[in-house]
Amino acid sequence: MTSTTHNILIVDDEAHILQVLSLKLRNCGYSITTAVDGEDAMHQVKENPPDLVITDVQMPYMNGLEFALALSSESATKDIPVIMLTARGHTLETSDTDIPNVRKVLSKPFSPRGIAELCAQLLTDVPCHDGKRDAA
Amino acid sequence: MFTDPVSITILTCITTTTVVAIGIALKWKARESVAIAAMQSAKLDADEAQTALESAKIHGCIDRTRRRQVEAVFDVLRDAVLVIDSHGEILHANEHASGILSVRASEAAGKSLQDIVIDHQLLATILDARSGLPKEGRLYEQEIQIGPETIAFEVQLQSVGRKDEPMHAVVTVLRDLSREREIARLKSDFVSKASHELRTPLSSISAYIEMLEDGDAKDETMRQEFYGVISTETRRLRRMIDNLLNISRIEAGLMHIDRVRVDFEELVDRAVTNMRPQAKEKSLEIHSQMADVDLSVIGDGDMLYQVIVNLISNAIKYTPEGGRITVVADTDNLTRSLHFSVSDTGLGIAPDQIEKVFDKFYRVENYRHVAQGTGLGLNLCQHIVETLHSGQIGLESTLGMGSKFWFSIPAEQDQRKAA
Repeated sequence: MTSTTHNILIVDDEAHILQVLSLKLRNCGYSITTAVDGEDAMHQVKENPPDLVITDVQMPYMNGLEFALALSSESATKDIPVIMLTARGHTLETSDTDIPNVRKVLSKPFSPRGIAELCAQLLTDVPCHDGKRDAA
Repeated sequence: MFTDPVSITILTCITTTTVVAIGIALKWKARESVAIAAMQSAKLDADEAQTALESAKIHGCIDRTRRRQVEAVFDVLRDAVLVIDSHGEILHANEHASGILSVRASEAAGKSLQDIVIDHQLLATILDARSGLPKEGRLYEQEIQIGPETIAFEVQLQSVGRKDEPMHAVVTVLRDLSREREIARLKSDFVSKASHELRTPLSSISAYIEMLEDGDAKDETMRQEFYGVISTETRRLRRMIDNLLNISRIEAGLMHIDRVRVDFEELVDRAVTNMRPQAKEKSLEIHSQMADVDLSVIGDGDMLYQVIVNLISNAIKYTPEGGRITVVADTDNLTRSLHFSVSDTGLGIAPDQIEKVFDKFYRVENYRHVAQGTGLGLNLCQHIVETLHSGQIGLESTLGMGSKFWFSIPAEQDQRKAA
């Protein structure tokens, strides 16, 4: 699997999901940061700009859609690809996730293996940042 | 005798006069007969006219009675009904039509439709309908502004009689769809929430199994941790399904419970004993205060035990380490009921969220990361207490200070309600 130092931010209010994805992607060689809601995630983006974001949709304070929209509205973060995970299934309208940087919307239950493959695919042409990128 | 000319003349005169007189008399008689006949005829006509008039009065009275009956039927309908004639004049508007009119429904009869129907689209549709409608009428949905609200209506237009007949009328029935729409929204919302909540533990189970298959657990300790997550999440999923099924059965009136005399104090003691190890893990103390009175109630012991455990379990989940939980049971002689409460020194709940905590799948957002739950426990408790035991459940809470969940149930249940 890919062995890079790309930084991936995982956002979910379910501790088990954060744990399982962190472990899988760390095993694939990625550097991982985590957040439990959109607000926490915005803080993490400023502290440690990620190369890719995986976020749940339904979360307290700021949900995944609001978070992705906030990223896409800032010049420094608008190009960060976002993978959305949702347990809302068919009740999530396509127009809801029609946000420029949202590259893929996956329904829960998901495959950690599949997520790792998707991350590798989305990060193929993304140069690894050295943590000096200016965040919004 | 009377052969002399004078006599003859007199006799002749008399005879002639008599004949004339008789003739005149006969004429008069004939005229009188005609006149009498005419008078008799006229009298008959007058009688007929009088009868017809009386008949018309009776029929008019019957028509008015029938009309009032029909109007009374319209008035008991929950739908708004407007009846107009071919000139667009209102024949009747029932009480529920008041919302779409600029005047009270009782004052609408005789007025022109154009003058009193507020919504332009509805007005145009009804006026158009006068020129002809299909036999089966016309049915469509329309949103109408009523005061500050926009309400969805099903509008049904139907012609009565042919349009060239004097009795031609157009009947408009407007059915408020708000309740149906609200039920549909609640169902959709429920399916969405149920889907989300069921998929969440399922995601963990499926992801951790795949991690084990892929060898992502590096050692036995990590493997055991993964098995632990799978086991915990499976139990959570099972609890959720059980709760959902129980709530659905109670709501559908299909839950049959055993109503027997239950020793409530024994239920509380058992629940506290079983929950103590869980409380001890967080260094929480559980204090039990049972009133020194007969605490027995008529009800379903298993169901009531489930409520007691659920309330104590919530208190343990949302009380920080070192806190205190107090369990109290007493009777209220005035209301002849048993009162139970669980107080904690936990996080408390904000006033705007207190009313929602008994809703299905409602979880206080700020505490989702504090503890996992099904979002159904309190809803099930509410159903068990209020629907199955005719009791009442409630909550008092101060944010940051703690919460007190309580319920009361009649000490003696009405046996007629026994399922």
